[in-house]
Amino acid sequence: MTMLRTDVVTRVSRATRVAIATDLRRLVTTGDVLDAGTDLEVYGYDASFLTQLKPVVPDVAVIARSEADVIAVMRYANEHRIPVTPRGAASGCGGGCVALRGGIVLALNAMNRVIEIDGPNGQVICEPGVVHARLNELVAPDGLIFPPDPGSSRMATVGGMASTNAHGVRAVKYGPTSSWVLGLTVVLPNGDVIETGSVGSRAKQSAAGLELTKLFVGAEGTLGVITRLRLKLLPRPKARAMVFAVFDVLERAGEAVQAVYRSGISPSAIEILDSRSLRAANLYRPDLGLREAEALLLFEVDGNPAGVRWDAEQIAETVRPLAVEVDWSDQEPRIAKLWEARSVVGAAVGALRPGSTRAYAGEDICVPLSRIPETLRGIQELSVKYDVPVATYGHIGGGSLHPAVLVNGRDPDDVRRVIALTDAIHHLALDLGGTVTGEHGVGAARAPYMTREHGAALETMRQIKRALDPHGIMNPATIFPEDVPPTPALDASLVTGGM
Amino acid sequence: MAESLVAGHRSTGNGEADVVPRYTIPGRAPSDVRDDDVGIALPTGAQALLEAEYENMLACVRCGLCLTSCPTYVLTGNENEGPRGRIALARALTEGRIPLTDELLTHEDNCLACDACTDVCPAGVRMEPIQVAFRAAVEPAVRRPVWVRALRTVVFDWLFPSMPRFRFLVWLVWIYQVSGLRTVLRATGALRLIGMSDADALLPPFVPHFLISSGQTYPPEGDRSDRVETVDLFAGCVMSTALAAIDHATVRVLQRSGCAVSCPSGQGCCGALHAHSGDRAGAVSLARSTIASFEVGGDRPVIVNSAGCGAMLKEYGHFLADDLDWASRAKRFSARVMDASEFLATRTLPVMHPIGAGSVRVTYQDACHLSHAQKITSQPRDLLRSIPGLELTEMAERSLCCGSAGVYNVTHPETARELGSRKAESIIATGAEVVVTANPGCYLQLRARLRATGSKTEVRHIMELLDAASSPVVAR
Ligand SMILES: Cc1cc2nc3c(=O)[nH]c(=O)nc-3n(C[C@H](O)[C@H](O)[C@H](O)COP(=O)(O)OP(=O)(O)OC[C@H]3O[C@@H](n4cnc5c(N)ncnc54)[C@H](O)[C@@H]3O)c2cc1C
Ligand code: SF4
Ligand code: SF4
Repeated sequence: MTMLRTDVVTRVSRATRVAIATDLRRLVTTGDVLDAGTDLEVYGYDASFLTQLKPVVPDVAVIARSEADVIAVMRYANEHRIPVTPRGAASGCGGGCVALRGGIVLALNAMNRVIEIDGPNGQVICEPGVVHARLNELVAPDGLIFPPDPGSSRMATVGGMASTNAHGVRAVKYGPTSSWVLGLTVVLPNGDVIETGSVGSRAKQSAAGLELTKLFVGAEGTLGVITRLRLKLLPRPKARAMVFAVFDVLERAGEAVQAVYRSGISPSAIEILDSRSLRAANLYRPDLGLREAEALLLFEVDGNPAGVRWDAEQIAETVRPLAVEVDWSDQEPRIAKLWEARSVVGAAVGALRPGSTRAYAGEDICVPLSRIPETLRGIQELSVKYDVPVATYGHIGGGSLHPAVLVNGRDPDDVRRVIALTDAIHHLALDLGGTVTGEHGVGAARAPYMTREHGAALETMRQIKRALDPHGIMNPATIFPEDVPPTPALDASLVTGGM
Repeated sequence: MAESLVAGHRSTGNGEADVVPRYTIPGRAPSDVRDDDVGIALPTGAQALLEAEYENMLACVRCGLCLTSCPTYVLTGNENEGPRGRIALARALTEGRIPLTDELLTHEDNCLACDACTDVCPAGVRMEPIQVAFRAAVEPAVRRPVWVRALRTVVFDWLFPSMPRFRFLVWLVWIYQVSGLRTVLRATGALRLIGMSDADALLPPFVPHFLISSGQTYPPEGDRSDRVETVDLFAGCVMSTALAAIDHATVRVLQRSGCAVSCPSGQGCCGALHAHSGDRAGAVSLARSTIASFEVGGDRPVIVNSAGCGAMLKEYGHFLADDLDWASRAKRFSARVMDASEFLATRTLPVMHPIGAGSVRVTYQDACHLSHAQKITSQPRDLLRSIPGLELTEMAERSLCCGSAGVYNVTHPETARELGSRKAESIIATGAEVVVTANPGCYLQLRARLRATGSKTEVRHIMELLDAASSPVVAR
């Protein structure tokens, strides 16, 4: 059996771990403190490739069940300079919720109460562990919706979404999570509590003071722990329709997106599946029967029933000269089926090469709309060069692309090639004027690119971080490259042996 | 020098320097002891059993999609008690990275094997085989009180493998119920004293005539001569005894659908309880004898009315895949197995009458081993809708396990009670007069939990309802 050397991650001594756990058990009144060796194993990974091959376990894990628990943990950790890593559902793809520098993992998934649905004011107050899909189920009876909708709707917590500024398929029309957060309660690294967005306010807009809410949104837990959120809701659109268009030339798919925007329509989602993605989806679920071509585009429009039909017809007309097949539908079952095809792709990629799994690495670039065809071609070339199957899909309407790479985790050579390919994809995105992460966040996996991406601005971020977290205990292995330890999991030279 | 993906960071070779956390707790001398969580050594043979499912474990990409479907994760919020965690623990154990500890054993043992996670997993990970392999692998290392060991031997090695013994036990239970002994024990609180009150509440209500499979065939009924088909009935251990009324109902519904129903002799328990309790040898032996007893039927459908047994019978192919002599026989057998509702959905049904005076509100409870393990959800609902005057309503959290899960409600009474009560609340909230299920475990669990809340909602197996609705003798 191939496995990684196990002697690489050295934890703090057992005596210290036991001491920390004993103290925390006294201080944490409603939550649970875990320190048995095998219990920590499962807090050592998220969806990232970075932690897939070998988890990096924390010294202690705390399952918080109240704000008081969080305050107690932060005060204690700040006093003893122990790193604290907040954790939601761990569906993140960058290793951001893993204690790469040891210390305490602070799990917030069990703080999952919806405190108040304020229908008349179009907002909801909830704890950070509420899962996105559940929140939407709960506000639906009031005819409301929390619009950001990541593909991870059924796992991601709203705390994790706010912390990574999650986007999702409809961000092209409704914007990212940051547009929907009105205020936050944050426990700062020293244990103090602040409320952003005006204390006790139910206002839907504000121009008072520095925008602290936006500072904590997307901070990936490096500045404090979110313990409560005030989120903005929208009346649920009455209807939707979907246009799908098949292209045999990749560039034409790019042109089609531009043409639709020029026609003055703002679709609620525009998604792309490349030829490999279509192949994978068909292999995984033959009943989907997707036509395999260079690309498939899905345009969704939402609003009132008459409006969506008009929009859909317009879009179909606009893209018809560029596509080899175009159709549209306002029938829910049909739309649901097309969305399903889109949603299975991520996992279906595994079907392209039996024995391999999908790896979340280099999976989240975003490029200017005008450079999308070039990017897709570039990824295909890199896939050939490194001999790693890659299927690409994504929210093309915003330029956000998800190259899905395949890896056989037991083959060191394969692991090495995936690592090199990932690096190349990230540089490709930066070369084309894009970013290494369109929506998943930096975590540890993408921290090395921050210097190139931000230049001098990174130092300003550091100053903010130091001001709020002088001891550097708050999620230290995230965003800032110098704080990320070499991660044994991705060190291909450490994959040894054979089964 | 090692390459590292984290560009700009070169591993120092031994990799340690940068990773060691630098904090200590004042006033407590940090010792030099490294991580020394002691665990039990893996028993011999365990490694091979685990490795057989290693590919399955590796398929998990840790996306977390399964978490919110998992009953134990929903109750605890602890990742060790969720599917992703259980897979990670089993995988780390297989890789020799963590020892077998009491905590690990408990977390795996708390799994209901309900396959809710398998049902939603986009990467195709299957929990049930992992649990079966894990439990068989660790069983020799599990410390159990002597009386539990003895009881397991009696139940698994003596009772289940023999239908005559099983029938004898059910008679004893019946005597316990009718003799007044139960009333005395209940009234005096003696059951609670010996920790058996939950188990007692689960006992079936009555003992009607057993269905004894001795090779007999029940002829088709009604004018279905155009489409007569012979099917084999898997009668089941609990279904043919304690709940034999359901087996008889199933036979009648099949007959009225134009089937000749044959009951091959030699059949008995499917072995699912053994497999889920780590008794692999027992499960293998029951699987083999089941397969052998049904081979007289050639390739005709094997009909089963217990979701748990059905899931196991369909799993024989995978379960015995490495068994040289039996692999192909097992595969052939598994391909024949159909749940009763799955089969009836392919037949022309008998004429159905209303089952009540007015309209009857019914809710259907998805048995995990039917909906998750066998992906059968629409057929039973369609069958129910074919009954005139029946109004089908859906309950909240319909895919959440009721806590029955084989013998889970006996081995883990607290979790089972919590899940059962949650399920009872969802059922009561629908305002249904009858809750329908397709699994004996759920049937008994729902009865116990509904009764505990004082609810009047009746629990029925779907075959009982179809039998009542298709009965020609009842004048309406
Ligand atoms: C299959 C799949 C599909 C996905 N699709 C999308 C998509 O379409 N769009 C998208 O944007 N993302 C997507 N993601 C990525 C991921 O789901 C999001 O980043 C999500 O927001 C993470 O939420 P989480 O609860 O899992 O957070 P975690 O992964 O647990 O944590 C993420 C980060 O947030 C921090 N954090 C979590 N909770 C708190 C808190 N309460 N306070 C402070 N910091 C906190 C953590 O420290 C960490 O840095 C997808 C992931 C997968 C596996
Ligand atoms: S859904 Fe499947 S792949 Fe995702 S974490 Fe669960 S078992 Fe793993
Ligand atoms: S089988 Fe059921 S209890 Fe076990 S991990 Fe899966 S969902 Fe949870």
